[in-house]
Amino acid sequence: MITYLDELKALLREGGVPAEQVEATVSDLAAYVAETGADPEEEFGPVGDFAGQLLTARAPEADPADATEWRWTADIFADRQTLARFGDQGWEIDRIDHLGRFVSHRDPERPQRWEYRRELVPPGGGRALAARLAPEGWEPCGTWMYYRYFKRPRAASVGPAAQLDSPPAAPRSSVFFSRRFYLLMAVALLALVAPGLVLAPSDGDGAGFFAGMAVGACVAIAALASMWFWMARRRP
Amino acid sequence: MATDRRASWLKGVLDLLVLATLTEGENYGYEIAKMLAGSGLGQIRGGTLYPVLNRLEEAGLVSAEFRVTERGPGRRYYRLTEQGRQTLAEQGRLWLAFDESVRTVLASGGLK
Repeated sequence: MITYLDELKALLREGGVPAEQVEATVSDLAAYVAETGADPEEEFGPVGDFAGQLLTARAPEADPADATEWRWTADIFADRQTLARFGDQGWEIDRIDHLGRFVSHRDPERPQRWEYRRELVPPGGGRALAARLAPEGWEPCGTWMYYRYFKRPRAASVGPAAQLDSPPAAPRSSVFFSRRFYLLMAVALLALVAPGLVLAPSDGDGAGFFAGMAVGACVAIAALASMWFWMARRRP
Repeated sequence: MATDRRASWLKGVLDLLVLATLTEGENYGYEIAKMLAGSGLGQIRGGTLYPVLNRLEEAGLVSAEFRVTERGPGRRYYRLTEQGRQTLAEQGRLWLAFDESVRTVLASGGLK
């Protein structure tokens, strides 16, 4: 007849516990049972559950954030809209990584909605900004260039209604660029190449083309920088 | 490891601590977190605090009311219910008894 401890021993071995450790654990439990006179099933619970507990205790603790981590990116035209969308699906931004991606996770057990805001960081005023927003429940969750992002659980305003019963799966795509972003890139490319084509002599000498491209690069950089700062002022 | 352990301890008692911060009157999330941090419990992030507040609200231990403020978009104020007060008294006593047992055992191990 297979006893409780025999069965436990087999389950632990199947779970990958080294034989020596299984023997030590089961001997220890056998001694405990002998001393207390308790029924193993009553003392430790169903053998399958107990083995599961022992195996879980042995395994390195997994970080739940890792299990549900999702990294994604969006351009400056689409970031707030995309943050609102995924915040509503329970994705909490932890930080922005060195590639400028949002590093997010979702609580697998009790997902809840999040809301976000983007603020321009005044020179040397990052702390003051965070302190000003903190009483409303906003916490900093990442900085990119001179933009700082803040998050807040929707529960701060709607309470339990912020919980999600069945959130959708993580999107397959992790890049969310807007049409305006692609248009801007096309304009920049045109500004880079067009002067080269204009200045290139018809005899095929490449020097004129490259000189033109250099001029174009300067024009493109200046145009992009101007547009960038203009947007920064217009879209706090 | 030490941080993990503290987080684990806090998980077991955070609901009681939140209830305790409301015994003097209503309060809102940020101030509750600040009171807990001021007691030496470290920063309690919104992602930890609000699920607890939600559970307490769903269990009827706190009631909540959203109020628009003059300057900001508004805050959700939490107030202890009578049921919450009773739960705090009962569960708080159990926690203190548990704490006393832990102290006794640690003291027997030479810790003071």
